[in-house]
Amino acid sequence: MLPNKTSVINTRKDMFPDKKSTSKQMKTSTLTNAAGLNSLITFTVLLLAWISGFASRLFAVIRFESIIHEFDPWFNYRATAYMVQHGFYNFLNWFDERAWYPLGRIVGGTVYPGLMITSGSIHYILHSLNIPVHIRDICVFLAPIFSGLTAISTYLLTKEIWSAGAGLFAACFIAIVPGYISRSVAGSYDNEGIAIFALQITYYLWVKSVKTGSIFWASMTALSYFYMVSAWGGYVFIINLIPLHVFALLIMNRFSNRLFTSYTTFYILGLLLSMQIPFVGFQPIRTSEHMAAGGVFGLLIFVATLRHLRTVLTKSEMKYFGGVVAVIAAILLLILICLTYAGIVAPWSGRFYSLWDTGYAKIHIPIIASVSEHQPTTWFSFFFDLHILVTTFPVGLWYCIKRINDERVFVILYAISAVYFAGVMVRLMLTLTPVVCMLAGIAFSDLLELFFKEEDSERDRSNNGSEEESEEERERSPGVNLRNGVVIGAFVLMMMFTLHCTWITSNAYSSPSIVLASYSNDGGRAILDDFREAYYWLAQNTPIDARIMSWWDYGYQIAGMANRTTLVDNNTWNNSHIALVGKAMSSNESAAYEIMTSLDVDYVLVIFGGMIGYSGDDVNKFLWMVRIAEGEHPQDIRESDYFTERGEFRVDSEGSPTLLNSLMYKLSYYRFGELTYLEEAYTTEHWLVRIYRVKKPNEFNRPSIPISKRIVARNANSYVSKKTPRRKKGYIKGRPTIIKGQKPQRKPT
Amino acid sequence: MEYIYRLPFLALEVPNLKLKRPSWFVKPSAMVVFSFILLSYFLVTGGIIYDVIVEPPSVGSTTDEHGHTRPVAFMPYRVNGQYIMEGLASSFLFTLGGIGFIVLDQTHSPSTPKLNRILLICVGFISVIVSFITCWIFMRMKLP
Repeated sequence: MLPNKTSVINTRKDMFPDKKSTSKQMKTSTLTNAAGLNSLITFTVLLLAWISGFASRLFAVIRFESIIHEFDPWFNYRATAYMVQHGFYNFLNWFDERAWYPLGRIVGGTVYPGLMITSGSIHYILHSLNIPVHIRDICVFLAPIFSGLTAISTYLLTKEIWSAGAGLFAACFIAIVPGYISRSVAGSYDNEGIAIFALQITYYLWVKSVKTGSIFWASMTALSYFYMVSAWGGYVFIINLIPLHVFALLIMNRFSNRLFTSYTTFYILGLLLSMQIPFVGFQPIRTSEHMAAGGVFGLLIFVATLRHLRTVLTKSEMKYFGGVVAVIAAILLLILICLTYAGIVAPWSGRFYSLWDTGYAKIHIPIIASVSEHQPTTWFSFFFDLHILVTTFPVGLWYCIKRINDERVFVILYAISAVYFAGVMVRLMLTLTPVVCMLAGIAFSDLLELFFKEEDSERDRSNNGSEEESEEERERSPGVNLRNGVVIGAFVLMMMFTLHCTWITSNAYSSPSIVLASYSNDGGRAILDDFREAYYWLAQNTPIDARIMSWWDYGYQIAGMANRTTLVDNNTWNNSHIALVGKAMSSNESAAYEIMTSLDVDYVLVIFGGMIGYSGDDVNKFLWMVRIAEGEHPQDIRESDYFTERGEFRVDSEGSPTLLNSLMYKLSYYRFGELTYLEEAYTTEHWLVRIYRVKKPNEFNRPSIPISKRIVARNANSYVSKKTPRRKKGYIKGRPTIIKGQKPQRKPT
Repeated sequence: MEYIYRLPFLALEVPNLKLKRPSWFVKPSAMVVFSFILLSYFLVTGGIIYDVIVEPPSVGSTTDEHGHTRPVAFMPYRVNGQYIMEGLASSFLFTLGGIGFIVLDQTHSPSTPKLNRILLICVGFISVIVSFITCWIFMRMKLP
């Protein structure tokens, strides 16, 4: 367990200089080069945070190998490899006929290209320096490297909001906090890995621009917002949070010219830049998610105009002007409503709508509700991902509310909205984590500063003090001990935090989920490499244009590893297509065969965990297939058919007949039952992946009968020979009769 | 322009209304805002949204070997599932820890007497430690 130790030591190391920094800041302030020492400490702490954050994300690489994890990263990797090979413009124009057969997918227009461009440009730079690194290794190590950048940007943001000490704390926290590590371990090559960095740096630049009111910082905000838009769909969070901040400041009567300059610059530039991403296109002016930003933009200009006019106009003129403005605002609102109604402005998309109306997805969009990371969060996830920080979060918030100013309004809004969203979806824990780290950094830094400072001041007093003071000192001494106890307690808590982080990272978040490892009681490790076995079998043994049907979870992996055509994949853009596959999986074999022939399916791939007790298999996901299919084909598939009469979902012999006859069940438990239209093609070592070949119509229309049961219907006695005793000579049927002595006549032509 | 304004009042009679800003409608103080936020934080970290969507029972029950049903407070070995009471208990502990930290900060004010100060430090520190250890025990119960 070498990596474990090193990372713990590293994280502890970077906890300690931080304490020193806060205490030393005061002590060395009298020294000559205090600024130099401060920056040295800052540099060291950030460097150590980067190193420890990088090191603690490497568990998966050390235990397994340098491999891309899970599902979505496989697509990102495939797209990146394509871009590196064919160039950026070919990538933008890439029509992927290997996905969503027979529809295909326009990859360039349906992807956030920031991730690919980032790793592609790193690849380009390294290669132009003659450092030959394979693109896969860049993809694997991109997220850990960016975690260090996230730590630095968190430091900058916290420093703007509170103090440098709090910033260092926050940087150390975010470097190792499990809520962020869960999305950024080595190999999890996903948008979130770079998006959190973009998020934090955008917020830093925004706070900076509100503070300074300079166009330069506002343009920088817009630029980093552009990077965020190109990287992750979560940019909607930024484009709603920043207007919310502006709006809150307006309500709190904190309007200033700095705010006006920074927001108007940011909004216009950000709007134009975000529309350059092909996938986003005209959404920023057409969808409801972005309307708030536009509305606040208008409001801000309105308030600014009003303030200006108040200096110019008289009171009665103002009243008249107010009436005109009210009428115009009402008309504009009406137009907006009409546009929404007419469908020009799109209403909230389902994914965002489910954030407000939490029951919405469960009822209307099973495909969103089916993803495990879209489930609502339990208390356990909060504690598991944030540990001690979950209790210090309200403390930091309390400090911010107590000493409020423009920037702190921002962090408060950020905190509240992120907490709410994290409660709705487990996945959005990721956006909560940075703000929790910042607030915890503020809390810890203030607390320790308080306790250290008090001690110092007492010492000073006792040094210059008289006898009166010493008496007081005696009285106070238990208090000093107690305070030391508190400080030591805080250290212990933070050490527990680092231990917890490392332990969680090692145990929960460092599994590639392509290669499974199981541990026996004596500590031995067994590797289950069935997924790759099956995908390589597909790559080696099937024709290059074979169509593979599987549930959508495995689409990206099949495309990435086996390089075969899939019907549905993790980019769940076409619900009806997925529902068709779900219907095929959940209907009986003959009905499924019709669907499969209509979709030209050659092979069917199912995941079966029943042999080794793997819980995440297709039978486990089966009810979601039924639900999604039911959403589109309610007359054919009914969820209630798949439960027994007592309302249970059971897969043994007492299960409901519809379930037992469904294709998915039969394929999973083949060799427990019989198949007509498909035949087993390959089953991996631990039976984890089973691949079946769909028979062509001519193969099952002539069913083969075992030889023992073959009866040839013929009666040996009923045969009548034409060789009668009288005419023993045989004859040939249709033989031309030849009349001798005459030439065969020819027809004149 | 004046005529347009007058136009509706040819038919309508202006009611004699006296609108006053309600007395309770004032800009809330910082601590009121904070207590609202703390309350919502308490609810959200307790998984109230999970409770609304999934509708778990408040306390689970199990049958022991004698056939008696016993209540179970924690959904064991399930990381992404919870009972209502369990979530509220843990989020109460989170909040308790937070309040402990705030109490620790309050000890700083010079007006408090010495004894009170020591007591406050004790209370704050103990609540932080208790909440932390209890949460940790809860977590061990749920981990597979």
